[in-house]
Amino acid sequence: MNLLIKTIVMTTALCSCLLSTAQEHHDHEEANSSYASHSGHGASDGPVLTRTEDIESALADGGEPIVADVLGVVCDFCALAMNKIFSKREEVAAIYVDLDTKALNLVLAPGASMSDQTIADLAVEAGYRIAEVRRGDAALGSAS
Amino acid sequence: MTAMRTALLLTLGCLISIVTLARPVSYTGGWTVIGESDRQSSAVLVHHTPAHQWSAGPRIEVNRDDDFALYSVQPTWLAKRWFGADYQGNLYFFGGAGIASGTNGNPLDDRIAGYGGVMADWETRSRFASYRARYLGASHFGEQFMQAARVGFAPYEGDTGDLHTWLMLEIDHRPSDSDSVSATPLVRFFKGPLLVEAGYNLTVNQPLFNFTYRF
Repeated sequence: MNLLIKTIVMTTALCSCLLSTAQEHHDHEEANSSYASHSGHGASDGPVLTRTEDIESALADGGEPIVADVLGVVCDFCALAMNKIFSKREEVAAIYVDLDTKALNLVLAPGASMSDQTIADLAVEAGYRIAEVRRGDAALGSAS
Repeated sequence: MTAMRTALLLTLGCLISIVTLARPVSYTGGWTVIGESDRQSSAVLVHHTPAHQWSAGPRIEVNRDDDFALYSVQPTWLAKRWFGADYQGNLYFFGGAGIASGTNGNPLDDRIAGYGGVMADWETRSRFASYRARYLGASHFGEQFMQAARVGFAPYEGDTGDLHTWLMLEIDHRPSDSDSVSATPLVRFFKGPLLVEAGYNLTVNQPLFNFTYRF
C-alpha cells in the first residue's frame, strides 16, 4: 500500500510537470517562429549557417558553407556522433551541430567539395538522416 | 556525514552495474563505457560500434542479491530508429553469453549463463520515455526477469555542449523480488560525451547510479 501511494504521488507529480513542459515547449516554438526571420533562419528554407569562431575562420579562408537539416538530433550524443564522423574527413574545415536549429553546419576546406550523397552517407554512419542540404548563398541566408 | 555516506554509496554503485541504457549503439567506429548500478546488481559494459546498427563488447555484472557475477560478451542490435525533425525513437534487441561465477563466498560452481532483452525509447529535447526488459538464465545461480519503464522531462533545452538536465521517474518490476515493483526518481546530467544519472529507489531505499561515456 505504501509503495502504491508513493508510485501514485510520483506519477501524478511527473504528469503535471510533463503537461506544464509541453505547454512551455509549445510557447517556446511559437516564440522561435516569430524570431526566425532575424535570427539566422530563412523565412521558408530552413535554418542558415550557425557562425562559431571555427566556422567564421573557415569561411574567411574561402571554404564552401553547407547547412544540412538532420532528423533525430535531440541530444549531445547525436552532436558528438556527427562531429566524430565528419571531422575525420579532410574536406571538412569546420563543423558545428546546432541542436537549436537541428542542423549540421559545415564549411569545407578551400577548393574541396562534398556531394549531397556523401553527406547523407556520413550522416547514416553517425546514425542519423539528412532531410535537406543547402549550400553557398542558401546556406548563408543571402539567396534571393 | 550523510553526504559523505551518500557519495560513498554512489561511488561503490558506480564500480559494480544492469541493463544498458542511453544509446547502447554509437556512431560507426565509436567506443562507449557504460556503468550502471540499481537495486539488484551493478555492471560495466565497454562496447565498440563497428556499424551504426550494432555494437558489441565485454560486460561484467555483479548480482548483489544472489551473490554471483556474470562475465559476458554483449551484442546490441539497433533494429529500428524512427526519425523526425523534433524526435527520435529507437528499438534495440540485446543479448549476452558468458560465465556465471559465485561471489561473496558463494560455493556454487561456475556455469554458462546468458540473457536477452529488448529496449525502446522515444525522446525529444524536452521529453523522454523508455521501456526495457530482460531475462537472465544463470543455471543454479537462478533466473531473473525484469522490466522497467521510464518517463522524464528536461526543465530547459540546452544547446550543443551545454549542461543538459533531466528529471525522470523509473518504475521497475522484478517478479522474483519481495518488493516486486519499485519506484526510482532520478536526475540525469548530460554534457558532451558524458551522461550521469543519480537516483534513489524509494521502495527499497537503495541508490541508483549510471554513467555513459562516449568517445
